[in-house]
Amino acid sequence: MEQTVGELVMRKTLEVAAPPERAFALFTEGIAEWWPVRTHSVAEERAETAVFEAGVGGRIYERTLDGEEHVWGTVTAWEPAERVVFTWHPGREPDTAQDVEVRFEPSGSGTRVELVHTGWDRLGDRAAAQFEGYDAGWDFVIGERFGTAAGAQA
Amino acid sequence: MTYAHTITALADPTRRAVLEELRSGPRAVGEIAARLPVSRPAVSQHLRVLKEAGLVRDRPEGTRRLYSVHGDGLAELRAYVNGFWDEALAAYEAAANSETEGDDDGADRG
Repeated sequence: MEQTVGELVMRKTLEVAAPPERAFALFTEGIAEWWPVRTHSVAEERAETAVFEAGVGGRIYERTLDGEEHVWGTVTAWEPAERVVFTWHPGREPDTAQDVEVRFEPSGSGTRVELVHTGWDRLGDRAAAQFEGYDAGWDFVIGERFGTAAGAQA
Repeated sequence: MTYAHTITALADPTRRAVLEELRSGPRAVGEIAARLPVSRPAVSQHLRVLKEAGLVRDRPEGTRRLYSVHGDGLAELRAYVNGFWDEALAAYEAAANSETEGDDDGADRG
């Protein structure tokens, strides 16, 4: 019963007091108000702010004090107050991008926010395509060792 | 976002093939190179990157150096991604809760 890397899911849920419309807006276009850019960025202490452009195709990026931009990902689904999906490759080339989906559901007067980070198989697929027979071994390495805790992170 | 380092190390298929060669036990550079369509210097270079990412460790044995899989790199990556979202979402949660309390837009504009 090996867990393959393609099945790995990192899931986070939380409840916030803001209603879905606001929770969505804050998560996306309001990202600069809360994202811990000094620690959660490519440039870290040289990072100035984070930007989340609205709509499909919008970029998510950080801007540094020097005015440089480091793209973290691109919006692939945009459903205000309900759901946003974006690719995720901070500090990496886009071809290793993973997927992050964030759902917003009404919960009382607030919102239940669920973030799901997937796409760990991107790395597996690349190797499998170029080195036949290696993928099974790889599933073991990343599935058993990386996957056990990450996959159980429900 | 330092875990990018580990993912980058893993994203290269040749590097992963090198790592796979170590699954069955510690090996020297020459042994790995003999089993892959990759030159010895290239294997050394890949091993260096894997070592920096915490995925491989090495120890001297006689006149050669043996490389083996080191789980810490993956464990670190897992812990990092997990903690990464925990921290980011905690900041989001605080922002989403605080602005509702006052029910007016009192957010800082720094």
